Amino acid sequence: MVGGTVLGAIIVVVVLVLVSSGGTKKETGLQTGTTANSTIAGINQLLGGIPQSGNVLGNPKAPVTMTYYGDYECPVCQAFTLQGGFSQLVSNDVRSGKVKVEYRSFCTATCGSPDPGVFNTQQVAGLAAGKQNLFWQYTELFYHEQGQEDSGYVTPAYLNGLARQIPNLDYATWQTDRNDPNLTAQVSNDQASARQIGVSGTPTLIFSGPKGQAAASQAVPTYAQLEQVIKQVT
Amino acid sequence: MSIAAANGAPARAGTVDRRLRIAIGVLCLIGIGVAGYLVYVHYAKIKIICGANGGCETVQSSVYSKLDGVPVAVLGLAGYIGILFSLAIRNELGRVAGFGIALVGFLFSMYLTYREAFTIHAYCYWCLSSATLMTLLVVLTGIRVLRAEPIERTPKTVPRAERRRVERRQAARR
Repeated sequence: MVGGTVLGAIIVVVVLVLVSSGGTKKETGLQTGTTANSTIAGINQLLGGIPQSGNVLGNPKAPVTMTYYGDYECPVCQAFTLQGGFSQLVSNDVRSGKVKVEYRSFCTATCGSPDPGVFNTQQVAGLAAGKQNLFWQYTELFYHEQGQEDSGYVTPAYLNGLARQIPNLDYATWQTDRNDPNLTAQVSNDQASARQIGVSGTPTLIFSGPKGQAAASQAVPTYAQLEQVIKQVT
Repeated sequence: MSIAAANGAPARAGTVDRRLRIAIGVLCLIGIGVAGYLVYVHYAKIKIICGANGGCETVQSSVYSKLDGVPVAVLGLAGYIGILFSLAIRNELGRVAGFGIALVGFLFSMYLTYREAFTIHAYCYWCLSSATLMTLLVVLTGIRVLRAEPIERTPKTVPRAERRRVERRQAARR
């Protein structure tokens, strides 16, 4: 009877693990049709009219800079970007020119996935869109359409599919820019700078202002919590 | 050997089982507290009490915090309640059921701890506490299952056999 119980428990746990990790399915979140149109419309509404330059969103002369260390495959980054205080920060402080956001790459979830090598490719895809000042459209789209973690959903088709959804993106130029060695170097430099200052997870949010630097202590801070950190540096 | 002496072993075994049941019950109540708090935090959408590193939020926001839409904390809570109820079933079925639930909880906790270390890169102290409780529970419920025989059989078989032997000896003396 004990042997049967142990065997039964192992079978139950194997099923739970398969359900937890999404099994072997490649669950891509890539959207099509009206859903995709609705998503990009929402993103454009959030970002429209805000200046962009490469990986920086907002007025370059903004007194406060939020450095956002992120990984496109990181579900916690997705939670912060879509459900946390990020959208409200963009709508209020970034739009008003008080804060600018600089995104830097730091490998976390992707490096724990079965295909860590895709990290450079996916982050460079965003930076290539940044050469057309559409980095944040690509980044927001990635988080909106993020697939099941560890399922290997980040394929060339997935990355191309995201790019095709951005109305103003010159697709051919984007493809060419993805081979730019400077962008690969930028990802490597981001990671090196992150390690240097002791970043260990994503999202890591560091605010720099006239009164110095402060970091958000919560993984998914609300807008109110972000505002508190901004007050510390201004 | 007297009938009273023959009853000594089961009495000791009964005491050990009672202590095991108390220990399991206490651990289950602590587990219900831990898992219950995580369930409350999830549905009340309040900030989780955590250490300075904020690892609990990272783990609780990860895809591994849910199982097909159901928070794993709910499953943990159900597991602790299940083990607690199994203590009320005073036979082999109850012992094996408690052990089975604890074993599932222990193995799945190990998997989630692996995910915390190698995928999420953050630790949730509440989750680690629950994993520790499940580890202790699988050991204690396992001991109960392995010790089941003397508790179950001695009171019924040994005294009766001993009684017959005594009766036979008394008959022979007459």
